Amino acid sequence: MVSTNERKSWETFVRRPGDLREGAELPLALRDLNPGRKKYSVRHVVATVSRNPEEMPHVDTLFVRTVVGVLLPETWGITILRDLPIEVPGKPYHDFFASLKAAARDGDKT
Amino acid sequence: MFDDTRGFIEALRASGDLVEVEKEVSWDLELGAISRLACEKDGPAIWFKRIADYPDDITVLVNPMATWRRVAMAFGLAPDASIKDIYREYEKREGKLIPPVTVERGPCHEVVRRGSEVDLFDLPAPMLHEGDGGRYLGTWDLVVSRDPASQWVNWGTYRFMLYDSSHLTGFPRPTSHLGKMFQDYYVPRGEPMPIAIVIGADPLSHFAASATFHLGGDEAGLAGGLRGEPVDLVRCRTSDLLVPACAEIVIEGEVLPDRVGLEGPYGEYPGYRTGEMGNGILFRATAITHRKHPIFTVDATGYKDDSSTVTALSGALAIQKRLERHGVPVVDVYMPPEGAVHLAIVAVQYGGKEVARNILETLTSRRALISKIFMVEADIDIFDMGKVLHAFSTKCHPAHGVHVIHYEGRANTLTPCYSQGERVAQKGATVLFDCTWPGEWSREWETPVKATFDSIYSESVRRKVLERWRDYGFDK
Repeated sequence: MVSTNERKSWETFVRRPGDLREGAELPLALRDLNPGRKKYSVRHVVATVSRNPEEMPHVDTLFVRTVVGVLLPETWGITILRDLPIEVPGKPYHDFFASLKAAARDGDKT
Repeated sequence: MFDDTRGFIEALRASGDLVEVEKEVSWDLELGAISRLACEKDGPAIWFKRIADYPDDITVLVNPMATWRRVAMAFGLAPDASIKDIYREYEKREGKLIPPVTVERGPCHEVVRRGSEVDLFDLPAPMLHEGDGGRYLGTWDLVVSRDPASQWVNWGTYRFMLYDSSHLTGFPRPTSHLGKMFQDYYVPRGEPMPIAIVIGADPLSHFAASATFHLGGDEAGLAGGLRGEPVDLVRCRTSDLLVPACAEIVIEGEVLPDRVGLEGPYGEYPGYRTGEMGNGILFRATAITHRKHPIFTVDATGYKDDSSTVTALSGALAIQKRLERHGVPVVDVYMPPEGAVHLAIVAVQYGGKEVARNILETLTSRRALISKIFMVEADIDIFDMGKVLHAFSTKCHPAHGVHVIHYEGRANTLTPCYSQGERVAQKGATVLFDCTWPGEWSREWETPVKATFDSIYSESVRRKVLERWRDYGFDK
């Protein structure tokens, strides 16, 4: 597990309401919400998410924004399982999320 | 003419077109909110002297050319020059390209950081709008790229989002000059494309980079033409690209042909965040070079931003030339800044269905950025939106005067009224409102007579009224 006892805050953007699924290992692009000069730096990860973060004392907090940048009211819990490369193999001008999913899948095979 | 951002700042200060903010501001939304409000109020340019989390020796200049006054000054004209005068001056200068000159060294290399010394977070890129995908730099930049096949060098203004210490993601539209060059040459060969992101060059070099200019055009030569003297260029430290020597900051690096990152969403020049996200390009930095005490330049993108004035000027002239080449009886073109590069007013000698069709086809054949066109007769002052609106309201037939063309693969993906699906397919339409009288109407018997002071009274009556105006009791 990459998460530590210190609860950190992350944010992610989703295209559709159902893109975040509980219980599944999800490839996500997270941006760091913690204050400082590197706030909003991006990290690619595989993580699990939960709608009830209060029941999980050691998970980080995840905020979610829609494709047009609207912040959703619900706060999620997130457990980061592993990092993915910052340079995701993929074709420019094509769907980043499909490339990230493939990177996570390929990582699982190795 | 101004050689750099610093000279332009001095002129703005002298004319009262600059506010210098000494109070510390946060790069995280505060700077963006101040700058956005200033744009919407047609306010001055802003020079932020103290940015939280950053040393005082790096400052931020916002909205350098977001009003006609500042555009006029960039061209060396009086700040109160009329829009028409600025148009005519641009028209005069843009036809005479002056090639750049290569010099051995320049101030932009006073500080050089390469490789592991590169940290893009050293630049105070602001979080401009709440809910944007990230912090954006490259809102008022000049991106240099070269096509190895033709040796064509392109300058363009393209947005870039801060990703991590050495990466940016960007969204130069696939149909943009850079996007096309990247996809046509570099991606098929699997080669990274070297680019240089220049921040804080002289104002007319930025103008040239942002200007609507033809594919294969020499924007560095255009910048020289607009300045009336060549731009000094210096070679990058990690590539052989040439950049303006007096620039404040240069980020050198390469766009990767087979790697991607998440880009957007971003509140763009139309004044909306439309949700284009995740389909951009990934850039890896190889060096950051800058002047001592660098000035980071920013356009607070959105309603009435810098691009709206630049495009109002260069885009309108480019449209006029294209229409002339295609046989349209065009007299003048205006793109009001409030139209966010989506609206063009085209004055013609005569209108009608055929002219309307010709205009629509000409302006949508490669990339269709304009989605609304008002075609008016030459007696309408197209720089006066009140007159244009009057012509539209009274002369455009609600059924026969509306002409639409549909297209796919070349629509403007930033047009807010398109659905997400239309944006993905680059599918859209352009509508032309014909605000001219039908040519077949008899001028003597059928065409309504305009009943305004200038048009319905004889010269003698007008002269008499104007001469006695104050005597009647009017102030002015």
